[in-house]
Amino acid sequence: MFRYYLKLGLLSIRRNPALSALMIAAIATGIGACMTIVNIEYVMGSNPIPHRSDVLYYVQVDSWDPNEAAVDVDRPPRQLTYTDGTALLEAREARRQVLSYMTWRVVEPEDSEQLPFQVQSRSTSADFFPMFDTPFVYGGGWDKSADDNGEYVVVINKEVNETLFGGEDSVGRTVIMNGDRYRVSGVLDTWDPMPKFYDLNNQHFGEVEEVFFPFSVSIAKELSSNGNTNCWKAPDSNGWEAFKNSECVWMQLWVELHGAEEKQNYLAFLDAYAESQKALGRFARPLNNRLNNVTEWMEIEGVVADDVQVLLGLAVLFLAVCLLNTVGLILAKVMRRAGDISLRRALGASRRAIFVQYIVEAGVVGLVGGFMGIAMTWLGLQGIRGLFGQSRMIDHLVQMNWTMILAAIFLAVMAALAAALYPTWRACRIQPAALLKAL
Amino acid sequence: MLNMKDISKVYRTESVETHALRDFSLHVEEGEFVSVTGPSGSGKTTFLNVAGLLEESSSGIYELDGRDVSSLNDNERSRLRNEKIGFIFQSFNLIPELDIFDNVDVPLRYRGFGNAERKKRIERVIDIVGLGSRIKHLPSQLSGGQQQRVAIARALAGEPRFLLADEPTGNLDSEMAESVMQLLESINAEGTTIVMVTHEPNLAQRARRNIYVRDGQLEEAVPDLQVAAAL
Amino acid sequence: MEIGPIWRTMLRNKSSYVLIALQIAVTMALMVNAIAIIQERTRLMGRPTGIDEDNIFTFNSTGFDPNMDFQALVAEDLDAIRNHPGIDNAVMTNSLPIRNGGWGQQFQTEPGTDVESVGTGIYFVDEHGVDTFGVDLIAGRNFTSTEINWFDPESDDMWPSVVIVSAALAESLFPDISYDEAVGKTAYVNSVEPITIVGIVKTLQASWPSWEHIENASLVPQKRGATSARYVVRTEAGYRDEVIPQIEKMLAESYKGRIIRNSKTMTEVRNDAYASDSAMIKLLFFVVSVLIAITSLGIVGLASFSVTRRTKQIGTRRALGATRPAILRYFLLENFLISSVGVATGAILAVGLNMWMVQTFNLTPLAWYMIPSAMLVLWLVGQLAVYGPARRASFVSPAIATRTV
Ligand SMILES: Nc1ncnc2c1ncn2[C@@H]1O[C@H](COP(=O)(O)OP(=O)(O)O)[C@@H](O)[C@H]1O
Ligand SMILES: [Mg+2]
Repeated sequence: MFRYYLKLGLLSIRRNPALSALMIAAIATGIGACMTIVNIEYVMGSNPIPHRSDVLYYVQVDSWDPNEAAVDVDRPPRQLTYTDGTALLEAREARRQVLSYMTWRVVEPEDSEQLPFQVQSRSTSADFFPMFDTPFVYGGGWDKSADDNGEYVVVINKEVNETLFGGEDSVGRTVIMNGDRYRVSGVLDTWDPMPKFYDLNNQHFGEVEEVFFPFSVSIAKELSSNGNTNCWKAPDSNGWEAFKNSECVWMQLWVELHGAEEKQNYLAFLDAYAESQKALGRFARPLNNRLNNVTEWMEIEGVVADDVQVLLGLAVLFLAVCLLNTVGLILAKVMRRAGDISLRRALGASRRAIFVQYIVEAGVVGLVGGFMGIAMTWLGLQGIRGLFGQSRMIDHLVQMNWTMILAAIFLAVMAALAAALYPTWRACRIQPAALLKAL
Repeated sequence: MLNMKDISKVYRTESVETHALRDFSLHVEEGEFVSVTGPSGSGKTTFLNVAGLLEESSSGIYELDGRDVSSLNDNERSRLRNEKIGFIFQSFNLIPELDIFDNVDVPLRYRGFGNAERKKRIERVIDIVGLGSRIKHLPSQLSGGQQQRVAIARALAGEPRFLLADEPTGNLDSEMAESVMQLLESINAEGTTIVMVTHEPNLAQRARRNIYVRDGQLEEAVPDLQVAAAL
Repeated sequence: MEIGPIWRTMLRNKSSYVLIALQIAVTMALMVNAIAIIQERTRLMGRPTGIDEDNIFTFNSTGFDPNMDFQALVAEDLDAIRNHPGIDNAVMTNSLPIRNGGWGQQFQTEPGTDVESVGTGIYFVDEHGVDTFGVDLIAGRNFTSTEINWFDPESDDMWPSVVIVSAALAESLFPDISYDEAVGKTAYVNSVEPITIVGIVKTLQASWPSWEHIENASLVPQKRGATSARYVVRTEAGYRDEVIPQIEKMLAESYKGRIIRNSKTMTEVRNDAYASDSAMIKLLFFVVSVLIAITSLGIVGLASFSVTRRTKQIGTRRALGATRPAILRYFLLENFLISSVGVATGAILAVGLNMWMVQTFNLTPLAWYMIPSAMLVLWLVGQLAVYGPARRASFVSPAIATRTV
């Protein structure tokens, strides 16, 4: 029986090719628009480190201006001062902690044929690699003693390793940066967290650094941050020492805590620390220390751009228009076939039979629309790439995944069925006798 | 009133030419009640269409009310239909979404009468056909005979001088047919010229004049109506 | 003319008309808000930076040689650039307008820590800054060469004592006086350090395109840096693209202990700054066009249906005396009525949606003329869409009326 309805459905679709094409195109465009934007939201808002996101916490303490909150109504500054960052790092009250900031370096290849080149680099304490579970091709991170002793060690990524060492195992070899010689401790494999969750203060979807080296080294070399630096009060005087001791915030601290109790304890520790600073005349604002895990911090930092949310709203309305369009067309189709339906009813078709017949037809339209919608989504994403240009985020976008494809089909069929429901209900209500009176 | 001379009507489709009317000549006097019979496909409806300005003839002369209408353009023909001609169709042709009042109103709207005038006329003709109590009903809420009476009211509303009916009783049972026929007769008695195509010999006989169409031609010798009906 | 019966017909057949009206309503809500966003973004993109955008380019010189004499290198570089053919002027600075990243500072009119202050973008320049940027000095004077010093991190030097501010900044610091009167006034930086306004430029934007006080910017007479310098170069009209590689090559060869990188014309800086806005504009334009296309195709489809379904009725009307134009008018009028219901509902939806977006995303409220214009557009779209089917209807032969089913 189902096959009979399927046949009727296909026949009916073929009988009105222009109209069927219009319905399918409407569903496909609506689905395409929605799925394109949903895809963008999905990529932007996806959890970059799902297996660890609830044990990694971003630390904020309120060291800001007594007269004015750092962010919005009453939020603490988004980064830490050198004083607080290093104090909290050294306290080692969490299982692991990593303090870091972004800076630029120039790499001079030993091979004098090659030109020096600039790299984006991150100055960080040793726990960065185990905490964020970074993959290595060769070697690994450095250990805490390297931090403590200010050793010149470096972790480079695959591309830099390719450029400098032709992709060989370079552990133990030397990289020259700004005149200093660093020993390679490890080579990172492709690591592409999306968004770049560990530093949301700068570009949310920025590139992962190419080179990592110890925090203690960059401080000794007096390297300031190439990311955001914010001060509510000028340093007491010029020079590095004054800057280090200033109220300027420029570094990020992540800690690893397992379970609510550890989190409570760490918050208590932060409060105690703030109190101790108050005693020294700092932290004039009320206690306002925060711990947020990866997903919470992404939410707070608004990783999914407002524009995307506006677009999502518009895309949903767009789908609504497409659906209304389809409902109208299917209804018109049903009404035109009122005579046919009435005849079938007179010949003994039950309401259910009519219902199944039209819902199957609509389902077929929806399914085809859904498949076309996937193609449209792909086109949409290509279009987005064309519009927004090449970037790490966009590259992630264009790799559509199965979840999205299934979601698109599901959405399309649901949409088509929803669109078919009302007309089908109307079809069911057509009386067997209507034929006799139909004009 | 109506004067046709050597009217021909040819329908051309890709493969065939149908001569629906050939050298068809007919004169109808003012106030006449003419019935038209003939076998199916003989050209009766085509004759009515040409007479009612629904279609143009392929050749020949057609004068309506002393005026040659073969050279009129579409707008002028529409205007003439609206003012001078009333139509009654076999399947009533009421507009299903409009109630009785609005259905009767249709030709009056195109005439461009004012509100009061239209209302007066509509109520008058609906009374004539005896459906005053049903004025807000939709066609689907009426029986066939009632629907046809509405259609007659619609045809009469514009006070046409010339009423064309194509098998007006074809879809009705004999009792209803009788009431419709009586209505037509009383209208004719008021002075309206009527040309009615019908299948039913006894109805045809009641007209003052009978004509017979075969193969698109008017047959001079009107055969026995019983025979015609059998065809 | 015959609104009454058409309206009653529509009421008897509500569902299909309600569907089109709703579709038009949602289309209108979407269209109006999308266009409002387009307008807003276009306005943002249209703001001038105040500098000579057509002829400016910028690049970095990043030194890595620990033995480099940075200050001497900068002096040599600037000399070489300024003397290069096709170049008007050049300056070392920290950033450029709308470059997304720069130096910000608070200025206030009274000294003290508990005082209202105004944010401003800061560009450190020498006496060539005004000319290189091509800003329009509308009051006061430029810096003199004696006012320019190198910032010395080892010293306790204060902030330079003079400043040139943008007119917008002058107004927010000293709201009630003329620009000429504002010249010579003292403001305070870092809470207590006095700075005297010596000049005012008409327009100079700060470095952050989405900052609400973007029109607040200042030129400060100082040279800063230890290894890395950003140069801004203004070329003679039309020479920019040809000069860039020449300058890059010249500097790269003049000293090997640094790399020259990130050359960008101001046009590119602007494109980068507003890349997402311009993408958004294009995207929304596309969305609105597709939307209108779908809605009008929907109208065409439904109207065709309705014409086909009503063929007999149309023939009957023709038989009863309707002229062709009368039939055409019938369908146009019917569409006009549906559209009217649609745009009226759409107006409410559009305003509602806009209010929500204003609240949630800080968008600007709709301009008053948006609603009536959108209504007009959609009325027109509806009439155009229905014209084809309506014309087809008007060609239905009156003879249909007598040809049974
Ligand atoms: N539109 C048309 N196209 C082609 N042939 C037609 C058309 N209308 C009528 N005919 C043909 O013209 C002939 C006369 O038809 P008609 O006047 O309807 O006959 P009647 O009403 O007497 O039964 C028939 O053979 C019919 O098939
Ligand atoms: Mg006939």
